[in-house]
Amino acid sequence: MPVAAIQTSKLSKDYGLGHGLFDLDLTISPQEVFGFLGPNGAGKSTAIRCLMGMIRPTRGSAHIFGLDCLRDSVAVKRKVGYMPGDMPQFGSLRGREVVAYLGGMRGNLDPTLVRKIAERFDLDLGRRFREYSSGNKKKLGIVLAFMHKPELLILDEPTGGLDPLNQQEFYRLLNETREAGAAIFLSSHILSEVEHVCDRVGIIRSGRLVKVAELDEIHNIRLHRVELEFAPVTDVPEAAIRSTAGVEDVVVENNRVTCTVKGPFDPLLKVLTGATVTNLVSHEPSLEELFLTYYRPDAPSEALSR
Amino acid sequence: MTAIRLALRLGQWGLLGFAGVTFLFTFINSAGFYAVAGHTQAEREAFAKSFAQIASQLTVLLAPALRLDTVGGYTQYRAFGSLAIMFSIWALASASGAARGNEERGLVEVVLATGLSRVRIVAAQVAAFAIASVVASLAAGAGLMAGAIAGQESFPLGPVIEAALVLAALAVACYSSVFLVAQLVAPRMATGVAGALILALFLLNSLSRSFDSLHALRWLSPFRYYELSRPLPPGGNFDVPATMVLLAIAIVAGGLAALAFHKRDLGSALFALPASARPPTYETSAALVWRAPIIRDLYDRRVGLATWTLGLAAIAAVFVVLTRTIVQPLLSIPGLAAYFAAILHGPIYQSFLSSLWFGVAQLLIAGFAITQVGRWSAEDTDGRLELILSNPVSRTRVVIERAAVLMFGALIIAAGSGVAVGVESHYQSIDLDPGRLAEASLMLVPVALVFAALGALLAARLPRPAVGILGIFAFASYLMLQLGPLFKLPDWVQDLSAFKLYGQPLVEGIDRAGLAILVVIVLAAFSASAIVMQRRDIGS
Repeated sequence: MPVAAIQTSKLSKDYGLGHGLFDLDLTISPQEVFGFLGPNGAGKSTAIRCLMGMIRPTRGSAHIFGLDCLRDSVAVKRKVGYMPGDMPQFGSLRGREVVAYLGGMRGNLDPTLVRKIAERFDLDLGRRFREYSSGNKKKLGIVLAFMHKPELLILDEPTGGLDPLNQQEFYRLLNETREAGAAIFLSSHILSEVEHVCDRVGIIRSGRLVKVAELDEIHNIRLHRVELEFAPVTDVPEAAIRSTAGVEDVVVENNRVTCTVKGPFDPLLKVLTGATVTNLVSHEPSLEELFLTYYRPDAPSEALSR
Repeated sequence: MTAIRLALRLGQWGLLGFAGVTFLFTFINSAGFYAVAGHTQAEREAFAKSFAQIASQLTVLLAPALRLDTVGGYTQYRAFGSLAIMFSIWALASASGAARGNEERGLVEVVLATGLSRVRIVAAQVAAFAIASVVASLAAGAGLMAGAIAGQESFPLGPVIEAALVLAALAVACYSSVFLVAQLVAPRMATGVAGALILALFLLNSLSRSFDSLHALRWLSPFRYYELSRPLPPGGNFDVPATMVLLAIAIVAGGLAALAFHKRDLGSALFALPASARPPTYETSAALVWRAPIIRDLYDRRVGLATWTLGLAAIAAVFVVLTRTIVQPLLSIPGLAAYFAAILHGPIYQSFLSSLWFGVAQLLIAGFAITQVGRWSAEDTDGRLELILSNPVSRTRVVIERAAVLMFGALIIAAGSGVAVGVESHYQSIDLDPGRLAEASLMLVPVALVFAALGALLAARLPRPAVGILGIFAFASYLMLQLGPLFKLPDWVQDLSAFKLYGQPLVEGIDRAGLAILVVIVLAAFSASAIVMQRRDIGS
């Protein structure tokens, strides 16, 4: 059995007052693309910084390719390409100097690969860092993370600031990197991003991992936006619809009803028996809608565990 | 008001540190007056007569002295003359940081997005610095009054407030002028160009005391209007029109800065040369320097390092010239024999140079070390350290490389100043032992390392105030060592100075025990900082 690219056990970083990361158990296989979803402040960056050995966990452990993230941090970083959420300032250094500076630190810099990635994203490495736009700073971060062909990429919200064309290019680069055998751990709060590239998704909320699922599994959680239109001669069974299990957000306007259905359709269809439904439209849930529904601050943590 | 509060909040550590330094500086000088000038009127008059001759040799730096037989006259000359230089440097650092540093960090963009106009941002920055400079100058005044109380005298409040107001007015005039310059030139050149302007204005005024040809131009210099007021000595004056001119400079320069800020693009200069057409490059730098540890960091700091090296070499040469110029006349003053006996040991020129230049050189090299500590703190807080540590380098290696970079940087600076002293001494016919000169120059390196090591330890625990605390420690160390013998401070107080262990290598050779202690402190503090670095969370 191959060694997991990332394995955490009860990984926790407690900042007090309920902030931080708590009991993160995660296993990510080699060549897997794992999306780590959550809103700002959910604990995504904390988890990533624990994996990178930047902060010490309060308890628990994290391993990358079997190496302890703290004890073997130098060996770990030989295998990892890292892209922070925000690029630090490099002032008047030119892009090519930043690459050479950090590449020199890592050793064995491949100038050909650097050129290929920079060309691909049209990143002018001759300009000074302070002249870069936020998108160009992100592109520089991409060059720095990918330039040594790492076995694992840890990317903290990598596409923020990139325009749609460059985002697409970035997704292609991720796919190629995965094809080449690398594992990818990608944090994001953009669901369409993980839809594009991830095999599995973990959703983190208030520092706790609430769900890990295959992308298909996420799609299959039954949540539908339903619009019903009744014939004018029919009484709308409003009370029955409202009391049906799994039916929420019911809005009635004349003979038109909209609602959300969680789970199977059977209970709703039963209460419609006897009424003349002239039109029924069901919208497939996007990951975005799913996320927003289950991720509301007032939603119970177990919601996604159903 | 919110913008003013924000500006004050961002600069609070600088303000507290600087106010602490100014208080300490005037306190030590005023309290020291009673130790060196005596307590009877006759003693003080004799002291004033002797000291006036020293002052007459230093008019190239400081305004002429008045009533040196009084604590007010002495402090006006000894402290408030130097404070004008210190406040203008503070104004330079603060204004270039506010005008360009905040812009580079994106803070200005965020503030502008709140709907605050550019004119109000400039006004708020200038107003905040005006408040800060009044606080720091009042701290200087408080130091004088505390020193007088220590000498069992009292000092009237009115002249203290007047002196503080003039000092604050000078600082704000410099601040607004730097703010204006920072709008006109490219961001990376702002501090250098503005610093050159402030230096030129200072020299214009000070050199005009010696060169008649500059008399006609000195009205251009704010330092001229500063020295027209001398409120502290009895019979001194508070020149209201001159102070109003300083305030007018502040307002006009601030207004022009606001106008320039209104007209220019963020991140650009008001006047910028059009960028030359250049095809994009996708190649990484092939320079070998980036591949070698330590060398790549020295190369990264090359501009700063060159500035420090040339700056210290130039100052060293000036001190050698000053030594030749002022020692002979001073030797003819019988009253100064006791003064020299207290601070000098061995051959007169070598001893003078050893005490005068290498005393200042220790302070300056400590300043270099402190700027590097500031950089380490900034690397930690802005995420650069995190990106460095995402490479296969251990935290211990980062500490070791930082220490090595600082050591080689200090070595380059010390060697540059040593060569300057050697060459200029040759031209001034001052006979120096080359071996001793090399030792004295090289001994500056462990001094720099002590501050760096303590700073590394401090920055690991208290990254924000680390620079301020180190600065106060360096300045207090300098004052304790320079003024301790004169004021007959107890040995244990003088031993607290970080510079005590340096010894007098130019005259007496290296103090091996002192060097050993320096090395132990450096090793212990860097080892401790490596342990702390290993255990701490990066970026917090």
